[in-house]
Amino acid sequence: MSDRNRLEQYPTTAKQRSFEWDFTKGVENYEVWDEIEIGAKGTGAHTYRIEEEDVVNFNVAALETDPLMIDLDFARANGGLRFHPLFTVQIAFYCVDTGIGSWVRSPGARNPGQTIEVFEPYRIGEAITATITHHDKWVRRGSYYMQDKIEFRNEHGTLKTRWFATLLLPKTREDVQRFASI
Amino acid sequence: MTELHFADIQLGDALPPIESTITQEVIDRAALAHLDFNPVHTNTAWAARARVFGTEKTVAHGMFTMSQMASVVDRAWGRHGAVITHMESKFTKPVPVGQTVRYEGSVWELHPHGAGKNSVVVSVKATDADGSTVGTSSLRVRIPD
Repeated sequence: MSDRNRLEQYPTTAKQRSFEWDFTKGVENYEVWDEIEIGAKGTGAHTYRIEEEDVVNFNVAALETDPLMIDLDFARANGGLRFHPLFTVQIAFYCVDTGIGSWVRSPGARNPGQTIEVFEPYRIGEAITATITHHDKWVRRGSYYMQDKIEFRNEHGTLKTRWFATLLLPKTREDVQRFASI
Repeated sequence: MTELHFADIQLGDALPPIESTITQEVIDRAALAHLDFNPVHTNTAWAARARVFGTEKTVAHGMFTMSQMASVVDRAWGRHGAVITHMESKFTKPVPVGQTVRYEGSVWELHPHGAGKNSVVVSVKATDADGSTVGTSSLRVRIPD
């Protein structure tokens, strides 16, 4: 079975079906470590409207079994769905496209650790936008670290979550393209 | 536990551990849930050629490991009014497909700031079947009075 066919077994949401599943495509438009200007700021390409199906799918993938997290009918009858604490991850990848923050998709990247601050819980129906700032980049032991500050706000401007997203990246555009074409 | 009160929590209290076996299905579902389709997770042939982490196998998302570390707190206390307000995680070893990981957490700090403001820090460690630490997490959690 191909990777694509294998993955086709699992999507349950509209966002998953419309999203690009191959991060080796479009790498020529990704930001790369040695070209990124610290302090540059922008808004993620897409706005994320939170739907019940998104929350349930994330909870199932996180191996949750609490009916308040995975059984929509039960949750509706008992006070509403519970969000997983890491739900921000889906919002982040959805909001980022090939513009600012696109380095997060880089083939060859490695994840050293992450910091996420939560200010207010998400709610079904909110429209979330991501403000992305290139916060820092550094070199340590021959590895190239990149860090964005991503702030997620709802349609009223309320700050919901702040994520300091960090990865070790291939240094140059040629490096990224080499990984993509392996 | 049917109720959760800050005064009942002690330093060193252990939360119920959880465990997950990292099958390719678990990784695929995480890729779809995170919308993170880096080929190191989902492209088996690419992962074998690229060996980004020194293994030919696909590896779990670091954010999946982080999600499980957060789940240690959320499963124990989330239904009882606890809210995670800060998560800081480090990933120290890749988790290849086929590995089993155990996540264990305990109360590391108490922050008695007064009614409505009390919180704790839970320290969580993720350990693979070889006994190696694959990740650690520090989670600040607001606790009901």
